[in-house]
Amino acid sequence: MTFSGTLATALAVGLIPVAAAAQSMSPMRGEVNSFTDVFAVRVFPANPYDQKIKIEVHVYDQDFQPVEAKISPSVFQLASQASRPVLVVVPFDGAPDRKVRICTESIPFPNQQTQIKAQICGKFFGHRKS
Amino acid sequence: MKLFRAAFGAAMLVVCMDQAALATTQNVIFNGTITATCTLVVATNGTMTVSPDLQSLSSHNSGGSAGTVTLTTTGGVSLSVDPVTITTVPAADTTAITWTPTYSASGAHTIAETGSATSLTAPGADLVTVHLAGTKGGSNRFASGSYQATVTVRCE
Repeated sequence: MTFSGTLATALAVGLIPVAAAAQSMSPMRGEVNSFTDVFAVRVFPANPYDQKIKIEVHVYDQDFQPVEAKISPSVFQLASQASRPVLVVVPFDGAPDRKVRICTESIPFPNQQTQIKAQICGKFFGHRKS
Repeated sequence: MKLFRAAFGAAMLVVCMDQAALATTQNVIFNGTITATCTLVVATNGTMTVSPDLQSLSSHNSGGSAGTVTLTTTGGVSLSVDPVTITTVPAADTTAITWTPTYSASGAHTIAETGSATSLTAPGADLVTVHLAGTKGGSNRFASGSYQATVTVRCE
């Protein structure tokens, strides 16, 4: 199966995301059923600041170890008060279920002595159906 | 005949005036679902100053200031800070530094200063105060130069 076919299947079976403005990331919880070896989640990072910020999206496992997932896009600039969809495709890696954290990260005021990185993480549970 | 028509017309008018207008009503249902949500807005970064014995570089020290973050949530999330992993120190500083990030919160939730995760069950808005302290042990001292550290505040 091609990547696009796999993706389409996973999306068709999976999560129905609810977009909302003025949130740092939505949804923050989700459960996805997939008949393929990956599952897909669409999240919507938002920029609540009055300035453009750089946002990074990362995927971690239960122990906050990085997960090899396809994130489109993983790094981008987001205008003030704007939101945009980010597609995350997570492999099951042979497991029947997989719990991951999808995190939106930003440092709104870089280049200062003590920087604060804001990180909003959603918890997502993928089930592989046979 | 004319009199009959006039009388009949008047009678019909009286009958029609007694009829109530027919009306129907329908309810329009609105549904809304809010899932767990958390927004973090960094208001200010912090500033660290060095202690007189040069073994502490902290936002708690005199002249230092905490960072502040505004948190808004529906509840059902947790707040935490990560161990500090991103730091920049001057080349002259070659000894180990122990970094300790902490936070407290006031508003919808009252959280005393802690480094551990806190569950936020109730909805509301909070002002989160973030502190960072770097310490050196033994005879080690902070050197002159620029230090920079990043504290990760997480809501999940």
